[in-house]
Amino acid sequence: MRPALAISNYGLDYITSAGPVPVLRDISLEIAPGEVLGLVGESGSGKSSLAWALMRHLPANACEKGGSLALGDIDLQRLTAKQLTQVRGRRLGMVFQDPSTALNPTLTIGRQVTEALARHRGLRPREADALAIELLGHVELRNPAALMRRYPHEISGGEKQRVIIATAFGCKPEVILFDEPTTALDVITGARILDLFTRLRTETKVAALYISHDLAMMTRTADRVAVIKHGLVVEQAPASEIFRRPRQADTRALVAAVPRPERRLVHDRPEESVLLAANQIEVHYARRGLLRPAPPPATNAVDLTVRAGEILGLVGESGSGKSSIARALTGLARFSGDIAFAGRTLRSGDDMDRAYRRDVQIVFQHPDSSLNPRHRIGEILSRPLKLYGGNPVDVARLLEQVRLPASYASRWPHQLSGGEKQRVAIARAFAARPKLVICDEITAPLDVSVQAQIIELLLALRAETGAAYLFITHDLNLIRQIAHRIAVMRRGELVDCLPVEAFDADHVHPYTRELMAASPTPVG
Amino acid sequence: MIELLGRLVRKPQGAIGVVLLVLLAFACLLGPWLAPYAPEKMDFLGRFRAPGWQNWFGADQFGRDVLSRLLVGARSTVPMALAATLIGSASGAVIGTTSAYLGGRADEFIMRTNDAIMAIPGLLMALLLVSTLGNGAGNAVIAIAVAFAPGMARVTRAVALAVRNQDYVKAAIARGEGPGWVILREMLPNAMAPIVIETTIRVSFAIMLFATLSFLGLGAQPPASEWGLMVADARQYMHQAPWVLIAPSAAIALAAIAFNLVGDGLRDALNPRDER
Repeated sequence: MRPALAISNYGLDYITSAGPVPVLRDISLEIAPGEVLGLVGESGSGKSSLAWALMRHLPANACEKGGSLALGDIDLQRLTAKQLTQVRGRRLGMVFQDPSTALNPTLTIGRQVTEALARHRGLRPREADALAIELLGHVELRNPAALMRRYPHEISGGEKQRVIIATAFGCKPEVILFDEPTTALDVITGARILDLFTRLRTETKVAALYISHDLAMMTRTADRVAVIKHGLVVEQAPASEIFRRPRQADTRALVAAVPRPERRLVHDRPEESVLLAANQIEVHYARRGLLRPAPPPATNAVDLTVRAGEILGLVGESGSGKSSIARALTGLARFSGDIAFAGRTLRSGDDMDRAYRRDVQIVFQHPDSSLNPRHRIGEILSRPLKLYGGNPVDVARLLEQVRLPASYASRWPHQLSGGEKQRVAIARAFAARPKLVICDEITAPLDVSVQAQIIELLLALRAETGAAYLFITHDLNLIRQIAHRIAVMRRGELVDCLPVEAFDADHVHPYTRELMAASPTPVG
Repeated sequence: MIELLGRLVRKPQGAIGVVLLVLLAFACLLGPWLAPYAPEKMDFLGRFRAPGWQNWFGADQFGRDVLSRLLVGARSTVPMALAATLIGSASGAVIGTTSAYLGGRADEFIMRTNDAIMAIPGLLMALLLVSTLGNGAGNAVIAIAVAFAPGMARVTRAVALAVRNQDYVKAAIARGEGPGWVILREMLPNAMAPIVIETTIRVSFAIMLFATLSFLGLGAQPPASEWGLMVADARQYMHQAPWVLIAPSAAIALAAIAFNLVGDGLRDALNPRDER
């Protein structure tokens, strides 16, 4: 039988001012009708480039190096611009990573869904409307007729992704490309989207190329998995097998880096003395206006204690208020309630003096935006040293502490990879010799293998300095590996705060159980 | 910097702008030596002499050589305009960034005051200030700088608001940096690109505003050979000897075009998305 999608010996270069950079080399993949092929790889491995090559939407500096891309009986590389519009969406659909940018914010949902249907299935407006309502209902959206009249900003991220999936499936293509469709969503929403995908594909028997960096997710969605590294396919195997018996070293490294809750990385106990106690913290973002009342606080009377040397996990879906807590503790957001730290009680950000700011440091989620692009690494690291009375010569020692060469001091942030930037941000926090480091989703934008290295580094630094961590994350598997206690937040409230051993017990909050069920555990 | 210049020259508009600017700089630096006559040397036999081999751009009502006056006058026109723009832009940029950093009510207060000043047309503002401070080139520079600052503050604040939300600014605040450091070292350098572009475009406005003030008799005083003043003087002989008017007008226009072209070129060169 002819495969639905066949890629053979495909190569791709990007021409840059430094010469051609190979992105994909000798890629050969086949997807049978009705099959889901998972494509796993780190960021920069070329997986998204492959999707765009299939869509025939490559940047101007792309240069294809032979090979062929065939969708059923058509050669994608030979299509003219006009023929392409007949193929895109109609025969080859695509679902993007970030649903918030994939929909046009100035058009209603109905307009965007019916436009695709009218164009690709030749329906008249009224038929398209009826079909769109049916499709939106089919992806479990409540009240689809009302939803059609809304604009993208009026619905949630999960709903947007459902709209996009409904549109992609509605045009009945032979193959759909999924480019990390759940990465931008929180765990529970992502898990529900995945369930929807599984149901739709059994119903429609569509073939799919499912791109992701999340190995655990692959075992749930894909029939076969291909592992791609530096533009080369290193291994292809059935999904159930690739994690149990990885044959290549690269695959084994990827599998080993996936966090597993049963493999604890921290074995000591924290001290009994309380380092920081936050009482009744309510975070307020906007003040009362002239005509409008103040919005409700982002968190609802949250109590948290961190013991000396403890790793406290703080988990919850996006919007649950976990980052707001981090901002309150660092004085970046206004709050009511009080914080007891080192024998003093702080009631607002103005009470935070230099000693408190030195002892409590924060590392942010996005390494790209947490380093000033106009400062060299050396300047970034010497600043806290100057501020807290250190010796600026210590920059080299700081870099060494986070396993970076001392020569990096003269580099600019944009010359570093995401993981290296995050190391610099960690070094900046540790320059102050803090007692508590708040890590706000610091591994979320990183690949599993880089994430594993960062975690290893954090644990080594903790052993060296005895610092406590408040580790904010949505990855339950990761936090169960390292935390002593885990606090769970939902809609601004603290619903659970348990020692990590108690997590398998029966008396956990139903929401915590739901969160655990949504965190895919790796097979094998 | 070198790379930026390379990207700037690659586009024709940028290249033409740079060439014109280099010529202007030459006139400013070497004007008095290049000029064939002294700027105030009168020649009563040569009053209103048409352009020719004796006076390339003709001569004015006192028989003074127009080309010489232009070359010498470049010095009192272009650097003045540049100084006024730089002072206005720098203060506007700092005000805008500070406003974005402070936020809330302080931001509201600064920007509403700013709006009130912006409501007064630039020329009127400059006239008001010069008539209060007194005539003279120095005061005209200050007046133009003040007239320019609010617009610059507005542009900068828009960019600085986006920078304010970046994590490196939050990190600086969280580690207890003072407002001076956060505004000048963390925020301002990252809001620089639109400021540079806006500044180069404003230089041409400043040249014209400066010429207007001199034309109205409030900037440079006769017998200075400032370009705007030359236009003002030549106005009454327009029908008799149009070249006396045309030459300085063309010089003002060329200088304005040069800065505009460089501004346009810089906008493209500083935008990394335009890499293709």
